[in-house]
Formats: sequence, C-alpha cells, structure tokens
Amino acid sequence: MMMTTETRETKLSAAFVKLADTLVTDFDVVDLLHWLVEKCTEILDTQAGGIMLADPTGQLQLVASTSEEAELVEIFQLAAGAGPCLDCFRTGTPVTVGDLEADGGRWPTFSTEALKLGFRSVHATPLRLRGQFVGTMNLFSHHTGALIAEDIAVAQALADVATIGLLQERHLRNANLVAEQLQRALDSRILIEQAKGVLATTMSTTMNDAFTTMRTYARDRNLPLRQVADDIIGRRIDVRKRTTS
Amino acid sequence: MTDSANSEARVPEPYDVHDLCRPFLSSLPVSGASVTVVTASGARMTLCSSDAIAARIDELQFELGEGPQSSVALSGQIVIVPDVASRGHDDWPVLGAALGELPVGAIFCVPIQMGAVTVGVATLYCDKPLALNNHQQTTALAIASAIAGGAVQHAMVSAIDDAAVESPTAPALRREVHQATGILLVQLNTTATIAYARLQAYAFANGRTLQSVAHDVVAGSLTFDDTPRDNTFP
Repeated sequence: MMMTTETRETKLSAAFVKLADTLVTDFDVVDLLHWLVEKCTEILDTQAGGIMLADPTGQLQLVASTSEEAELVEIFQLAAGAGPCLDCFRTGTPVTVGDLEADGGRWPTFSTEALKLGFRSVHATPLRLRGQFVGTMNLFSHHTGALIAEDIAVAQALADVATIGLLQERHLRNANLVAEQLQRALDSRILIEQAKGVLATTMSTTMNDAFTTMRTYARDRNLPLRQVADDIIGRRIDVRKRTTS
Repeated sequence: MTDSANSEARVPEPYDVHDLCRPFLSSLPVSGASVTVVTASGARMTLCSSDAIAARIDELQFELGEGPQSSVALSGQIVIVPDVASRGHDDWPVLGAALGELPVGAIFCVPIQMGAVTVGVATLYCDKPLALNNHQQTTALAIASAIAGGAVQHAMVSAIDDAAVESPTAPALRREVHQATGILLVQLNTTATIAYARLQAYAFANGRTLQSVAHDVVAGSLTFDDTPRDNTFP
C-alpha cells in the first residue's frame, strides 16, 4: 500500500513537470490531450479514458481516447445525447458512477453499451477555466467503486493545467491572426502613402490627384491597390501611360 | 496571475480613441501616456497621447528609430526607466539626450498584448523620477492587455480610411512622412528605405521634427535633389 502511494506520487509529480514543460513550448493540442488521458488512466488505476471537447457550436466531439473500447463508449454516449460525461460538461462538475449496473439507470443506452464493453464504473472530470467549460475527460474502469476524493482532485488538477494550455493556445491562434491583419493594414497604408508621394512628384500633381490616378489604374485593371502602390514605388509600372478620361 | 488581472480590467464600450490612454492616468501615478500599435514589420501607428510631452516622447522614438518602445515590441517585456537623468542609456543614446531636454523624470514602456502576441506599446511618463512597484506594474500590464482589442480595432479602421484625419495628439500613421519618403525616392532616385533614412537624418541634423521636415517636402518648399551630402550627415 505504501509502495503504491509512493509510486503514484512520483508519477503524479512527473506528470506535472511534463505538463509545465509542454505548456511553455509549441505543442500540439491533440498530442497533449492524448498524453493527459493516458497519464490519468494510468495514475488513477483505471483501464480506459477519453476526452471530449466542445466545438465552436458547443457540441462535444471526441478528440482523444486510450482504446477502441473507450472510443466506442464515448461515441455511444454522444449518439444517445445522454451520459455521465455529457452531464459533467453541462454542469461543469465531476460526475462519478461507482457501479454502472446498479446506478446507470439515468442513462440506459450508455450504461448498457458500457457494461457490454466491460466497463463497470466511470468518472467524468470537467475541463474548465474561470467559468468557461471546454470539454470533459472521462475515465472508465473494469471494476466497481467510485473514485475517492483524493483521486478526483488529482484528475481535476491535471485537467485544469491542461485546460490552461488549451485555452492559451486558442487565444494565441486568434491573436496571431489579428496581429497579421493589423500588420497588413498598416503596411498597405504606408505603401499607398509612399506611392502617392512618388506619383505626385513624377506627375507634378497633388497628393489627392495622385491617389485618384493610382486608384483608377488599379480599378481599371482589377488589381489590389496595395500591389499597384508597391509597383509604383518599385518603379515597375508607369500609371501615366494610361490616358486619363 | 496576470491573466486573471487582464480579464478583470475592463474598458467600457463604446469608447473614443483617447479613452485608450485614460485608464493609465487614472490608475497609476504617471503624468501622461501614449498608446502606439507596432507590427512585426516595424510599422507603427500612434493612437493617442494624453499631452504634448507624451506625444513628443512617442514621436522621438519614431523619428530616431531607437528607444525602449522597440525593445518592448520585440521582447514583450515591460521596460522601467525610473530616473531618466541618471543613466547613460547605452541602448538609446540619442533618445536619452533628447529626453534630457524634456520635463521627464521617468519612463515606462508597457507591452500591449493579445495572448502572447505583442501588438503595441503604451508609453507612460512621470515628470519626476518614479519607480513602479510590482503591483503598479501588474496594473499597467493589465490595463495594456485590456485595451489591446480596442487599440487594434482603432488602428485598422484608421489605416483603411483613405481620408483619415491626423491631429497633433493623435498623429496616427504620420502619413506625410510616408508621402515625403515617396517624393524623396524619386528626387534621389533611390529606394524607399534609403529615402526614409535621408529624411530622418536631415531632421535630426537640423534639429527639426520629422513631421515638419516631411510637411515641407510635401509642400514643395524643401527639395533634396540638390542637398549636399555633408549637410545630411554631420
């Protein structure tokens, strides 16, 4: 018993170190979730596990599982639209069923399929951060018996850290897109203003007229204004060749 | 965690572009602030300055191409200069000297971040030397992150507007400077990069602001085709 506890603590602290290491580098979300569910299955002495994440419309999708049995039981649950994992996601709180045979009546379809696949108990942990529910991690055991409070806490702690990584990654992806759009908008404007300067000098005209000439040239040829501006600055085109109408 | 502080520092919407500076002034013991977006390509747009000194601190860094703003934009780390007069400022000697002529005691450059991406820099100054404690730094970072979305939005709207009006406390993209760059590249028969460098050098050598020189170039009262080289590079 002592031995088991020590081993588990060692595994757990190794898991946290690995998570922390992963989160400071570029990581693949699916790899991270696979690793998380495998680790939790191992540490909490269960036989299978799966992770479901909500898609942008709020529907749960299975993204990781440790075995074909786990995948099947998760898919049955999603298809039936009812099960402990769905309840966990809806409420944002852990759901533990220590004996599916005795206590699975709430979700008959799920319980029947889970028992057929050899699972006798299930524990669902919410993936959540500051009130945002992003999915659930579900562990399945061949034995009856609810997870003890300490185990529930371990599962939640690992899930919490992984969720921070997940949300940061999502946030980062959006931020990169926004930063790219901003850069493109500013760079385009700088090119356009420089091109106005080039045209105003070569054509001995005003900035406004230079802009109108440039825009007309771009519209007539169905070219992006930014590209025309870039070509004017690089002196690759001469917009004066066009007869202004 | 900074992250939770970020989500709690809220900016009421809708807000005017000058509201981007205001939260720094109401929450921190600083004299003035400016907010600038900076892209990875080095393009920058000043969105607002709370006063003429804040505007000049920002403009100097644009003109000289050096200063803490650039290092913050690259590193995403806050830069604290608690006593502007006390240091040699090895990283930005020219700016350091120019700041000495302004009533500025301390400068703080705060990254404006969306997630891990730095989209701009808020530059705060105090008229006397001042060190920001950890709590104040966290507040500054939280405000900066809270205004990030608004700053980017204002910058994009202004950038795509062909007739955007630029005012002294919100010089925006400094369009005349880029127009003047276009004029100079024709006059000097060179590239935009070199034309811009010549404009910068001329302004610096003659102790003038880049914008006023650019204005003269655009107005046609200053031409560079006959400017002797030794006048532009002292």
